[in-house]
Amino acid sequence: MTTDLIRRRTAPRHLVSSVIYHCVMLLFAAIFLLPFYWMVISAFKSNIEIFSQPIAWFPDPIRWENVSALFARTDFPFLRQFANSVFYAGAVAFGTCFSCALAAYSFACLRWRGRNLVFAFTICALLIPPIVTFLPTYIGWSRLGLNGTYWPLILPSFFGDAFYIFMLRQFFLSVPRELMDAARLDGASEFRIWWQIVLPQVRVALVIVALFAIVYTWNEFFAPLIYLKTREDFPLSVGLFTFRSQRAVEWSISMMGATFTAVPMVVLFLFTQRFFQQGLATKGLK
Amino acid sequence: MSSVILTGVRKQFGSYEAIKGIDLTIKDKELVVFVGPSGCGKSTLLRMIAGLEDVDYGSIEIAGQDVTERAPAARGVAMVFQNYALYPHMSAYDNLAYGLRRAKVASAEVDRRVRDAARLLQITDLLDRLPKAMSGGQRQRVAIGRAIVRKPEVFLFDEPLSNLDASLRVEMRSQIARLHRELQTTMIFVTHDQVEAMTLADRIVVLKGGRVEQVGTPRDIYHHPANLFVAGFIGSPTMNLFPAKVISQDGRKVALHLESGPQVVVSGVAGQAAAGATVTLGLRPEKLQVARAVDGVDKIQGEVTLAEHLGGETILHLSGPHGPMIVKCDEDFDQVPGSKVDVTLDMTGANLFDAEGQAIC
Repeated sequence: MTTDLIRRRTAPRHLVSSVIYHCVMLLFAAIFLLPFYWMVISAFKSNIEIFSQPIAWFPDPIRWENVSALFARTDFPFLRQFANSVFYAGAVAFGTCFSCALAAYSFACLRWRGRNLVFAFTICALLIPPIVTFLPTYIGWSRLGLNGTYWPLILPSFFGDAFYIFMLRQFFLSVPRELMDAARLDGASEFRIWWQIVLPQVRVALVIVALFAIVYTWNEFFAPLIYLKTREDFPLSVGLFTFRSQRAVEWSISMMGATFTAVPMVVLFLFTQRFFQQGLATKGLK
Repeated sequence: MSSVILTGVRKQFGSYEAIKGIDLTIKDKELVVFVGPSGCGKSTLLRMIAGLEDVDYGSIEIAGQDVTERAPAARGVAMVFQNYALYPHMSAYDNLAYGLRRAKVASAEVDRRVRDAARLLQITDLLDRLPKAMSGGQRQRVAIGRAIVRKPEVFLFDEPLSNLDASLRVEMRSQIARLHRELQTTMIFVTHDQVEAMTLADRIVVLKGGRVEQVGTPRDIYHHPANLFVAGFIGSPTMNLFPAKVISQDGRKVALHLESGPQVVVSGVAGQAAAGATVTLGLRPEKLQVARAVDGVDKIQGEVTLAEHLGGETILHLSGPHGPMIVKCDEDFDQVPGSKVDVTLDMTGANLFDAEGQAIC
């Protein structure tokens, strides 16, 4: 009896169900990881080895020279396109955070006539498929003479995105109103209250918005394909596509490019998993 | 002269009128407490004085200046909030200094004022800490410090002690009273806790439904409530109210017949009470005595429903013939629920209200 009292109680283990659960999860993980693994190993093989039978699940030998071959290509300015992608994603993320946080602050923290009506119109924008507005928008940018530049891709993000405005507004609503009142009594302007008092309280939300904007823009294909003209201006998403179209047989270089395109997002995800999970919980089914 | 003068102040939220025309003068260096039940408009009125709510009608003067249209920071007021409202990402020092920096005060002067306020409130050791690393009482002291450093004409306190536990509340109450003595500044304090109101105030403003019901010193309001609402709201336990009919009036003395039985005489009646008129007699719980029945004195019988033994005194809740009664006894009465007791009435300091609920005595 004494032994029973001394022994630490442990939760009952459902061994069989636990094993089944983990096996199923591992199976799904393997299915999801397989294309990514295939891309990475193909990047280190020769074109012949990629299609050899039986399938080689590990490159032998590992062709490190494929890395230098990627960066040496004159018909695939990888580093230039990588820099374009970083600039494009960074600018859009900044513009989205800045404009959406301002709009959300106005909807959540300021009182003005017609606020709810304007907010309803903003939410209605979610119902319009982007493709519907694409042609008139394209004509507009053409008339401004800005086709072939990054302006049509970046500038719209400085005018807000309905979903991110909605999402940030929910976070702003949770900031105690007394904080803003205290700052008003302390003599802070509305912009300073937004910048110095409210934004620091919703840092997590801003990081989430920035991450989603970066990932979305990094993978964005259609808009840069339409608006940009030259290989040197393309971001990686379009650059990879055009290289593969023109050099269809050079699979190992394509896969190396794809691997280097995916790595920044994987690293970003590894360091910011917590925010992605919170963001997905907020985004719901979008 | 940091007086505050409200003239015909009104406020509407949509179709709901929260403040229905208030005229009030708060004198220089006075500590005035706004008290009233939830939704009476006391916090709204305070926020209007602070400039955090627009004034729809009327005007507000602070220190002789019309500030009705001025921004909050330009009114010479500082406010302490119920939930402290400290900036969570700033240290206590930065919280205190923020307003001064906005006012472009020289950094040496900012430092001097912050450290002076910290010394006064005994929070010097906390200056480097973030609000999340402080207790509720410490946070509230930092919040008060933030108000002090600005050297305002008027301090506004919006239920600043509501989030504190009972013992801390008593401590902070005495600290605010001490600050008022030392700073010699006009203070307006909002609370729904009448003990805070009674202990802190030079004058109390009782509000109900966006209107002022009575303004007076704590003793005035306790002993001479202007109407039935104030009589029932101020004082803990609440005043006993006995429905009665007037038998006769002889000068300032009125003979009453209580619905619960006995006949009594109330002296010091200022108004007219016609024979047969319905009135309400108000007696504080300490004016009722239990088991001290004297022959020849009318008494009311009651049944004990609850006995609250507080150590030095006992509060008896009785069920009487006209409704509930509350008696405050000096001694530790050994009464149990269900026992029958006799109650006699001490008519000194009795209050009398007419059929409209207005005091006539």
